Amino acid sequence: MTVKKRILFGALILAGMCVLPLGVGIYPQHVLITSLFYVMMASSWNLLAGYTGQVSFGHAAMAGIGAYTSGILAAKAGVNPWVGVAAGTMLASLLGLGLGTLCLKMGGIYLSLTTLAFSQILHIVIVNEYAVTRGTMGLQVPGLMDEYSKITYYYIMLAAAILMLVLLYRMIHSNLGLNFRAVQNDETAAKSVGVKVLQVRVLAFTVASAMAGFAGGLYGHYLLLITPEIPSLDLQFYVLAMTVIGGMGSFIGPIIGAFALNILAEKIRDYGEYHVLVFGLIALVVARFAPNGLLGVWQRFRSAKPR
Amino acid sequence: MALLEGRKISKSFGGVQALNAVDFAVERGTIVGLIGPNGAGKTTLFNAVAGAFKPTSGRVAFDGRDVTGLPANAVCRLGMARTFQVTRPFGAMTCLENAMVAAINRHPAKPRGFIEALAREKLALVGLADMAGFEARHLNVIQKKRLEMARALATEPKLLMLDEVLGGLNTQEINQAVEFIRSLRDKLGLTVLWIEHVMGAIMQAAERVIVLDQGQILMAGTPAEVVNDPRVIQAYLGE
Repeated sequence: MTVKKRILFGALILAGMCVLPLGVGIYPQHVLITSLFYVMMASSWNLLAGYTGQVSFGHAAMAGIGAYTSGILAAKAGVNPWVGVAAGTMLASLLGLGLGTLCLKMGGIYLSLTTLAFSQILHIVIVNEYAVTRGTMGLQVPGLMDEYSKITYYYIMLAAAILMLVLLYRMIHSNLGLNFRAVQNDETAAKSVGVKVLQVRVLAFTVASAMAGFAGGLYGHYLLLITPEIPSLDLQFYVLAMTVIGGMGSFIGPIIGAFALNILAEKIRDYGEYHVLVFGLIALVVARFAPNGLLGVWQRFRSAKPR
Repeated sequence: MALLEGRKISKSFGGVQALNAVDFAVERGTIVGLIGPNGAGKTTLFNAVAGAFKPTSGRVAFDGRDVTGLPANAVCRLGMARTFQVTRPFGAMTCLENAMVAAINRHPAKPRGFIEALAREKLALVGLADMAGFEARHLNVIQKKRLEMARALATEPKLLMLDEVLGGLNTQEINQAVEFIRSLRDKLGLTVLWIEHVMGAIMQAAERVIVLDQGQILMAGTPAEVVNDPRVIQAYLGE
């Protein structure tokens, strides 16, 4: 695709996204808003797992940090939600810095287990610190605006998602992005050509965590009720499945995955807990037949076509 | 003063003494061969010098600085570049991107155009210009070795450390590679420290040869001195 075509394509998508929620009911609007939250989660997790090879299970926990920080500040201290979201983003990035540093000498499964432990600890604390978090009952928080409007929330989430995607795109296509991918491909070789591997890894952790915290903060103020469902492993694996099924390590993959899976999840809601089974099956099939995800299938299809 | 100098470098892994008080020097602008039987400690010496791990004891000096125990990325920025015996390309990245990673860490502030031109120049130097857009994992072994050379060269080193780059080449290709490595020294002014099992190539290209055996320096001298030394012959062929 030429640059001109790309810009046109992007503009079309953007215009489509802008008019999409108009004229549909409240329920489709809700699905679109949650999809945008998942786009942010999957794309930022992809930066960590897909571009630097750090498969963190603490990403949903970071969204939880963002949501609860902002939620508690707003509900208990009357802080403006926007200020709260900023505070939640900061705290998540600080925790990301800490967790990333802790995991520096670890790779693969050890990093995953450490972040899993972090995620579980946070979950337990939130469930049990009833006085502050209201546990599994959930914390009621104010919205981002005085008057509740799904359309406005949609545009806020859309703007946030686009901002984040632009940031991610620029990062991936900068020198930093090359260093990220070099680290993921081979840390030893990356070091040998001068890449500051430790710095690069911690930076990815910090940035991705900040993004998760930001997405979580906004999401909490949309839901108006923050529960331990946000910093849960369910949500973590959901984000993981979206990224893997969409196409890990590609820019577009997680976006496709987030929309596809979230919409599918709504469609198969009636099956109750069985919808997890369906996800498992899809993940299996994708892992077996399309290791590069939906995006990989699309690319293969395109390159197979005679031109 | 020598460009690279090792003093009493020792390295042990658990109970195994891989390097034992190794002293050596590489003079500026020379090609130095590092030879020895399998398991002599050649690659271990590379790793200890280039920062892959810290020597148990001893000092490494590079370009007038003590670099003992510095991490590989810091040593690289000072001008030491290496290839790996078993190649380690960034498989899911194109050849061009492989070389660009090296270039951006040498010139972090330079614009993309400069970086890309530098990377392409080094790819062309090793004969991979046509492969720039290919993912590195699709290359064959020999091309991967060339890519590692291009990547190392893109860090614009003073010292190039080669770890068995001739494996799998036929006689004609070996001659070309030797010519190429000599030209790096003659035209780019590089100093080369070169581990190689293909003895003929080392004898042709190197001014000095260091012989390692069982983690110790057996001898160092000109190629002619080395091949005629009974200790070297014994180390390779046994009694």
